[in-house]
Amino acid sequence: MTRQIRSLRAAIAFLAPLVVLVLLWAAVVQAFEVDPRIFPGVLSVARAGLDSLRDGSLPMHAAASLTRVAVGTALAILISIPLGVAMGVSPAISNFLAPLFRFFSVLAGIAWIPIATLWFGYGFGAITFVIFNAVFFGVTYNTLLGVASIPMPLRHAAASLGAGKWAMLIEVLLPGALPNIVTGIRTGLGFAWRGLIAAEMIATNVGLGYMLFLARDFYRTEVIVFGMIVIGLLWLALDRLLLAPLERATIERWGMVRAA
Amino acid sequence: MNPLLKALSLYVRWTRRWPVLASVLPFVPVLLLWAIVAEARIFPRAFLPGPIDVVMSFGSLVYKGILPEYLEDSVVRLALGAAAGVALGIPLGVLVGMSARAHRALWPILLFFQAIGDIAWLPILLIWFGFGLTTMTFVIVYTVLFPVVLNTVLGVRSVPIVLHRAAQSLGASRPRILLEVVLPGALPNIVTGLRNGLGYGWRALIAAEMIVGTSGVGFLMFDARRAGSVVEILLGMVVLGLLWYVVDGWMLVPLEKKTVERWGLVAR
Repeated sequence: MTRQIRSLRAAIAFLAPLVVLVLLWAAVVQAFEVDPRIFPGVLSVARAGLDSLRDGSLPMHAAASLTRVAVGTALAILISIPLGVAMGVSPAISNFLAPLFRFFSVLAGIAWIPIATLWFGYGFGAITFVIFNAVFFGVTYNTLLGVASIPMPLRHAAASLGAGKWAMLIEVLLPGALPNIVTGIRTGLGFAWRGLIAAEMIATNVGLGYMLFLARDFYRTEVIVFGMIVIGLLWLALDRLLLAPLERATIERWGMVRAA
Repeated sequence: MNPLLKALSLYVRWTRRWPVLASVLPFVPVLLLWAIVAEARIFPRAFLPGPIDVVMSFGSLVYKGILPEYLEDSVVRLALGAAAGVALGIPLGVLVGMSARAHRALWPILLFFQAIGDIAWLPILLIWFGFGLTTMTFVIVYTVLFPVVLNTVLGVRSVPIVLHRAAQSLGASRPRILLEVVLPGALPNIVTGLRNGLGYGWRALIAAEMIVGTSGVGFLMFDARRAGSVVEILLGMVVLGLLWYVVDGWMLVPLEKKTVERWGLVAR
């Protein structure tokens, strides 16, 4: 019971500054009579939010964006973990390939937008490709590093105890690389999310980025600000409620390998 | 399998003698593969030009002076934005890290604004400042600022309280504690923040140049896309990749390593 009260108080302490910020915003807009075409008031943003919920445009755009992220990320993870493990097993090969993957993980995401739109046309394909690519190179590179960072004695020990290839993979390589893999997914998704918003502004007709950019054409700042808040909240939820706890749990559970 | 192993062992021996090779040689097979796929015309030429076409377009764009100018534009924008982001971010981070009250008041706000992300600001910035340099500078400063602030806060808070007390009991004033205990202790985190921030800022710059589009490497690529010239898009990607590879690998990573070696003891 006391724990619930304490977490409730922590939540209030976290939210209080944000509430103050909103009040300040309302007061400033009221006091200086800011032109709504420059910056909207709190109420008009709330109204824009309600409207977009009522006519179904917000759920539609958000669902489109999230579907793209989910499909691109899932595909990338499915391919990149086996690939990264396979490449990381031999130190010579992983040393050879590491610079390559660093180069491509540096390029990943936004820089692929022009060529993705040319190859796949505007729409779902190009945007999912941009996300796939941001996650793919990040996760592959990190998996490679993770497997390569497992101390050789551990692998020798497992082998001399009679571990077959399969047991080695499941019980040594994958758990040892897991902290790196999860970190890779988190940073990759961070880049992918930004890439998604940018790509949607350029190359589609549905999605949160498109919603913002469309509103700009009509100087509807209340829709823009509302969209920004939605983008911020979605990412906060994704990162803080899903990825960060996952990363922490993985490092606590399997992180010993790196410390050894 | 045997010749492959032999080649690999030769490679290992060579890279030990000349470490530079390790960051060059891996690209050779990729370039060869690219050239073969392009020459075999598996995809139409306009879809996937070969490396030689890209080198030739590099030559012609350098000769016309377009590429150097755009590259300079991008790099100057990034450098100015990063400098401003750091100049704002470190003091703010120290403030939020040092004062419990500032931390309570500002931390949630920082987290929220960081989550909104740079590029989501573009539409409203375009309304405020129009298509131009101000918009782009704002986006880069914004992007660099948050990783620097958040990491500085982490760094400042990771300095053990014992060190504070020791300095204090030896008679250090508050500014001296700041200069000689807190800042050095936080430096490794600050450099990490700078590196992350530049990584994000650089991507944001490309996106902003594509959307705002007046000059710069991002603009070059997007303009080429409009004209359907895949060669120039690929050239832009290669230039960007190389540039960041050099900046990150030869400047930021060594800087980070040196800082951690020199001042990183505090964290442990």
